[in-house]
Amino acid sequence: MWAGASGTDGDGAGTTRACTLNLIVYATPEDSRDALDELLDEVNERAPGRTLILVADRDAGDAKLDAYVSMRCRLLGDSGKQICGEQVTIAASGPAIDNVATAISPLLVPDVPVYLWWKALPHPNDQLFDRLARMADRVIIDSRSFVHPARDLILLNELIGTDAQSIHVSDVNWGRMTPWRTLLASFWDVPDYRPHLAAIDSVTIGYHPPPGALDDIATKAALMSGWLAERLGWEWSGGTLAGGGDEVRCRLQSGDRGIALTLRRDCTSGRNDGRICAVTLAAEHGAATFSCALSQDVARLTTEARIGGTRTVGRVIDYIQRGEAESFARELDFVRRDAIFEAALARATTMLG
Amino acid sequence: MNTTADNPLREGIRLERTAGPCTVVIFGASGDLTKRKLVPALYRLVQQRLVPAEFAIIGQARTAQTNDEFRDKMKASVAQFSEEKKVDDEVWRSFAQGLYYLTSDIGNADDYRKLSELLDQIDKERGTGGNRLFYLSVAPRFYAEAVAQLGKAGLTKPKPGSWVRVIIEKPFGSDLASARQLNHDIHEWLDESQIYRIDHYLGKETVQNLLALRFANGIFEPLWSRQYIDHVQLTNAEAVGVEGRGGYYETAGVLRDMIQNHVFQVLSLVAMEPPAHLGSEAVRDEKIKVMTAARAFTPERVAAECVRGQYGPGSIAGKPVPGYRQEEGVAPDSSTETFAMLTMFFDNWRWAGVPFYLRSAKRMPKRVTEIAIQFRAAPHALFGAEAMDQVAPNQLIIRIQPDEGITLRFAVKVPGQITQLRDVNMDFRYGSSFGVQLAEAYERLLLDCILGDSTLYARKDMTERGWEIVMPILDHWAATKQGVSFPNYEAGAWGPAESHRLLESQGKRWRRP
Repeated sequence: MWAGASGTDGDGAGTTRACTLNLIVYATPEDSRDALDELLDEVNERAPGRTLILVADRDAGDAKLDAYVSMRCRLLGDSGKQICGEQVTIAASGPAIDNVATAISPLLVPDVPVYLWWKALPHPNDQLFDRLARMADRVIIDSRSFVHPARDLILLNELIGTDAQSIHVSDVNWGRMTPWRTLLASFWDVPDYRPHLAAIDSVTIGYHPPPGALDDIATKAALMSGWLAERLGWEWSGGTLAGGGDEVRCRLQSGDRGIALTLRRDCTSGRNDGRICAVTLAAEHGAATFSCALSQDVARLTTEARIGGTRTVGRVIDYIQRGEAESFARELDFVRRDAIFEAALARATTMLG
Repeated sequence: MNTTADNPLREGIRLERTAGPCTVVIFGASGDLTKRKLVPALYRLVQQRLVPAEFAIIGQARTAQTNDEFRDKMKASVAQFSEEKKVDDEVWRSFAQGLYYLTSDIGNADDYRKLSELLDQIDKERGTGGNRLFYLSVAPRFYAEAVAQLGKAGLTKPKPGSWVRVIIEKPFGSDLASARQLNHDIHEWLDESQIYRIDHYLGKETVQNLLALRFANGIFEPLWSRQYIDHVQLTNAEAVGVEGRGGYYETAGVLRDMIQNHVFQVLSLVAMEPPAHLGSEAVRDEKIKVMTAARAFTPERVAAECVRGQYGPGSIAGKPVPGYRQEEGVAPDSSTETFAMLTMFFDNWRWAGVPFYLRSAKRMPKRVTEIAIQFRAAPHALFGAEAMDQVAPNQLIIRIQPDEGITLRFAVKVPGQITQLRDVNMDFRYGSSFGVQLAEAYERLLLDCILGDSTLYARKDMTERGWEIVMPILDHWAATKQGVSFPNYEAGAWGPAESHRLLESQGKRWRRP
């Protein structure tokens, strides 16, 4: 294959093989291959390596296991060289699925990280997932695709587990929240504002309804709640974020101080993308407020701090909407356990329970 | 830098280095650097959320213009020179609210009072906390005066709980005496910890990767010495000529313009001992230590181990180009060198007897900066001369620009019945392994300065040491300029034949980058 890619002389002069990782992709026959190919082309550009696509047809009765290899290449600048990574596609059906993990294991490139891309939430007792996840350094999911966000976040938390053998999970949707988390955190990079952080008594998070689950909470809103509560040491004391409705409330406690957390569904934009559209933190009964808001056209983020009713300096910056592939590829930059995500998820589930 | 102890929301965010509030004052804001590099870099830092909302920029220059005129010009510059090539109007309006212009003269004390008032006003309006970064992007003759005027206006002394830093562009002095004088002058008003002498080469990702390559990998450092390394070649080539800067270049030459600053900075990272930690002083202590071990150039050494050159007419990429003496602002009998090659030795335990060949030039065939570490040949020719015919000693090549990456060259057997060996390259390319755009050097360096990290900036002792090393060469070349026969290489060639002959006389040859 490599000799063919290199031209007639087969010395590799025109092709550079690059391998930074193994990526196992779990797909079903219903998933669009065109969309997956498009995504993987872009992912391979940022993080070239060996891709193993497992197409599992669980509903088929016959046991079948087929595999074929191909390459993903792109031109490197104007050098005329191609950067290529290999792809192995494995189609498994019926009982053969039970053993497919052992077919994948020897195909992994040694000593580079292994990622498992399992977009939807796996069933808790899914043996295939379990075997592949144990093979992987990190499992990547996307909580945006959860069909029942509140319930599925709780299941995800259980899936991660807490023991030393627990799997390392990356959520693409958590990565999409980085701009929000950075902007909120940056308020308290300003020494003058820091005293207000310990006096916050109200948090309001606005979000667009999630796709496919219009009555449910958006996973981002729940994770944002969990992140703030966990990082700022707030304990749940009542109420629930689950249960639907345009507004849900939770009560949190930090010592003697109570914090009212409100999640408000914003349907005015007509977007059902599960995005967060506004976050406001208020301290001392509104004496100081810190807010971030997304513009209606989803193009800009605006921040503002008001202390004692006076608006301090705010700013407007581009809201960079990363494509599916770029958001996904960013998760491939990390192999270590994301302790902050796991803690935020765990805290969110206490408020969803 | 903001820490998680101050702000628990910071922990675990993938942007780990975010700066606190400050105002950046750019002296010489009507110049090219401001519009091409500085303001686009600061705009990107804001967009990447690496600096907070409590941030402002003041442009200072003699050209009379209003805030709005300056903002309009900077908007056009950001659109032209930023990667995205477009600027959202609302986002720009927000950025521009923190963009000010002050018409002022560097030598006018009254103007510094106005600057001080404006800074106080901005502190109140934008919460910039009294933190100030002064960027001197002006002609070098104004550096000392600008710092002195800032000092007299009380602007070099930080208020309690805040900081004041000054970035000084290159060139830092034009010889050893002027560099020492400049250091002396600015030290009257500033502590060394406040002074950031910028060398944009150090902001390049691959230069920083030199530290990672050497000190994060166990396999290279044991080989990184006279025991295994035969010699080191450092090539810093530009395809361009003097680009309309003939007047300046006539007073500089490549030794002053490139070698005593950029090339020496890179060289020190290649040759230094491992630092105790990555703190700025620890790294810079090691850099100066190795440069202190550089063998002094005597007139005899300069004559025997250094080569100067000047390009004549030739062609680059198939297009004819004029010779240096035909460039605007250049004397028809100019003796300014556009090529310089130095043979350096470090008289210490690690490098005793290992030559470091440095060359830097204009109008070479292509733009490239690379370091080639040539290892010693295998001690015994096990495979015989015929089999080794196409084999050269191992090389590790660190490419700094363009096409940043690392290549290791080693010999393998050509498949077949006979034993024939051939060299192959094992390549690592940033572009192919990490499909991300490398950060612009000025972004990195500006953020470092705002964060108070001076690791990638030149310290006083390093700037003076650079001049100490090159002064005997400059002096010898000045004393013998009548005898030099310029031009001695064609534009588009890899320097004068003498530089190749010098290496060949030592049984080596220049690598073709």
